[in-house]
Amino acid sequence: MGPRTGTCLVVGASSGIGLALARRLALSGRKVAMLARRERELAAQAATTNDVLGRQAAFAYAHDAADLDAVESLFARIEQDLGPVDEVHFVAGVMPDVAIDEFDLGKDRQQVQVNMLGCIAWGNAAARRFLARKAGCFVGVSSVAGDRGRVGRPVYNASKAGMDCYLEALRNRLWRHGVQVTTIRPGFVETPMTAGLKLKGAIPADKAAELILRARDRRKAVAYVPGKWRLIMTVIKLIPSFLFRRLSI
Amino acid sequence: MTDTTATDAAAISWRDEDVRGFGMAIGGRAQVLRPTTAEQVAAAFADARARGVPIALRGAGCSYGDAATNDGGLVLDLSRMNRLLDFDPATGVAVCEPGVTVRDLWRRSVAHGFWPRVVSGTMAVSMGGAAAMNIHGKNNFALGSFGECVRSFELLTPRGELVRCTRASDPDLFHAAIGGFGMLGCMTRLEIETKRVHSGRLRVSAIVAKDLEHNLQILEDMRGEADYLVSWLDLHARGAGLGRGLMHRADQLGPGEDPEGLRFLDPALQDVPPNLFGLVPKGWLWPGMWCAVHAGQVGLVNWLKFQAGFAEARKSPYLQTHGAFHFLLDYVPRWQWMTKPGGLIQFQPFVPAAAGARVLRTVIEKSQAAGHVPYLGVLKRHRPDPFLMTHAVDGYSLAMDFAVSARKAQRESLWRLCRELAEVVLAAGGRFYYAKDAVLLASSFPRVHGEPAVAAFRAQKAKWDPDRLLQTDLSRRLGV
Repeated sequence: MGPRTGTCLVVGASSGIGLALARRLALSGRKVAMLARRERELAAQAATTNDVLGRQAAFAYAHDAADLDAVESLFARIEQDLGPVDEVHFVAGVMPDVAIDEFDLGKDRQQVQVNMLGCIAWGNAAARRFLARKAGCFVGVSSVAGDRGRVGRPVYNASKAGMDCYLEALRNRLWRHGVQVTTIRPGFVETPMTAGLKLKGAIPADKAAELILRARDRRKAVAYVPGKWRLIMTVIKLIPSFLFRRLSI
Repeated sequence: MTDTTATDAAAISWRDEDVRGFGMAIGGRAQVLRPTTAEQVAAAFADARARGVPIALRGAGCSYGDAATNDGGLVLDLSRMNRLLDFDPATGVAVCEPGVTVRDLWRRSVAHGFWPRVVSGTMAVSMGGAAAMNIHGKNNFALGSFGECVRSFELLTPRGELVRCTRASDPDLFHAAIGGFGMLGCMTRLEIETKRVHSGRLRVSAIVAKDLEHNLQILEDMRGEADYLVSWLDLHARGAGLGRGLMHRADQLGPGEDPEGLRFLDPALQDVPPNLFGLVPKGWLWPGMWCAVHAGQVGLVNWLKFQAGFAEARKSPYLQTHGAFHFLLDYVPRWQWMTKPGGLIQFQPFVPAAAGARVLRTVIEKSQAAGHVPYLGVLKRHRPDPFLMTHAVDGYSLAMDFAVSARKAQRESLWRLCRELAEVVLAAGGRFYYAKDAVLLASSFPRVHGEPAVAAFRAQKAKWDPDRLLQTDLSRRLGV
């Protein structure tokens, strides 16, 4: 793989891991299309990035990851504006609070729509282009939450598991054509999404971004961020179901 | 104006607690309530009025002395009214409840490339407290006090009126309530301006100052160009080295000057490190410091710190995050416990520039002669601000931290010394800062501000709190 010089596209770039990724990509000299739903936040973040860098590296595109039909035309518009995209990071995700006895289809649908279908829409749009060019890199930021179905957030788990499975299939389709697909499973990261959870030992979003880009450079198929989560999740996945349902993890 | 007294006052329950200043040396039992809404504050005021008991407002409890204590009375602890209601990522203006802390504010703002214009040496301070005490930071000489970055506030008066106040709508109230140490009403909502930063880091230089005059000279030479200036003083040094110390200058970086600074806009990278040398949890440091204080080795610690300054000066300038530069007091959690059981007081005279060298030298010499040598001294440059009860002068302040002995005679001798020092300062036209003060007497109050200012403040008090419901140990000591 040659030097990475093309345009990067980050979906979910207004805060948290997506913002940290966009900043690191811009810092490495790339042009970055920053996509997010909250227009005011996004525009301000892109402006701040350019201000700190002292050059125009970040470009804001308002986009709701739930709006699947908008993806194809937006991708085309970004390539028209900024040149060919050779790297896509899908980081958008929603994790609403769900009570233990709550079965709200509205919240469930939103999570599947954004976390899973959003990833599929952007994955497909990228795959078509990367396949034709025989080059490109798609990074999907999933979660350790996709590894087991747990009592706290059934559909968050399911949406991330679906996303993971899709990314694996995409990788298997594309690898022989020189296109990289990397699945990232972050553990505890300090972001606005997890601000209310008081996660012990959470790493900064900037650290997560550093590890994600390292996994990209090493052409990893699946990377846990930070790496210790591979061990933790291996143990958790080994717990038999009859026992797992009795535990509060 | 809206009436908010409708809420049922009987529904609130007060808890009996020991309420002390940050320095632990002053305080007493009080009935405490922690409201979460303005309605509950109004209900608490109504309850206090019905019972005829004075009530004090308290933010994060960071005032060293008695500004937020009320021995035998009621205390309204606002730390749970801590919602950051809005932050505009384009302008950097935040709308906060009074219990929002400096930490809450910078964590939100820095992610957007903004930093609070005025921050204290600890990030624990609340917005309500910061406005009521009109706090200052290491850039007081340049950007002024906290009140100058307050755009508006809503003041809930003891009679239950909610007044929205800006500089223009009621200049008298605006300039009296800010810096009015909680005497006029409870700020239930504040609009606060932050400033644009072009990096998550500052350029910091350390400069060794060989004595007091050298320190003052550096402040004068650099205040026109530096963004932040603060000097640590080794107050144990005598003779030719009296007032020696280590000056820190920090400057903001321009656009494109520190591209790596982009990463440091991540709030998690701004926090002060939790471990010393990446190993020792900082929560365990205060017992070691306690030993140094109680074994009389503070002079040695100061000497070591001064010597370490030469190495820091050699590696200057260096880049440091805003958080690491500003919040020195947060490096060692619960550091004030090193002064247990007596606690500490801080004596911080503000002296006009012309008399600065003479008065500060006298103050240091007198404290050394009396055998009460501060374990910490911090020198800053200031400029006047437009607030009625201001502590600011066109000159210098020297914050001196004294450990208070548990022995009565020693304690009284320290208070005597501080009052003697206060005389020297007042005679030179100096001022004091109520977030710190613990010793001033009622007779000094008009001398700090001048009779007209005190009369104007008392008129505001009579207008907004005619029943004199809002009182603190401080306000009674000063005879407000």
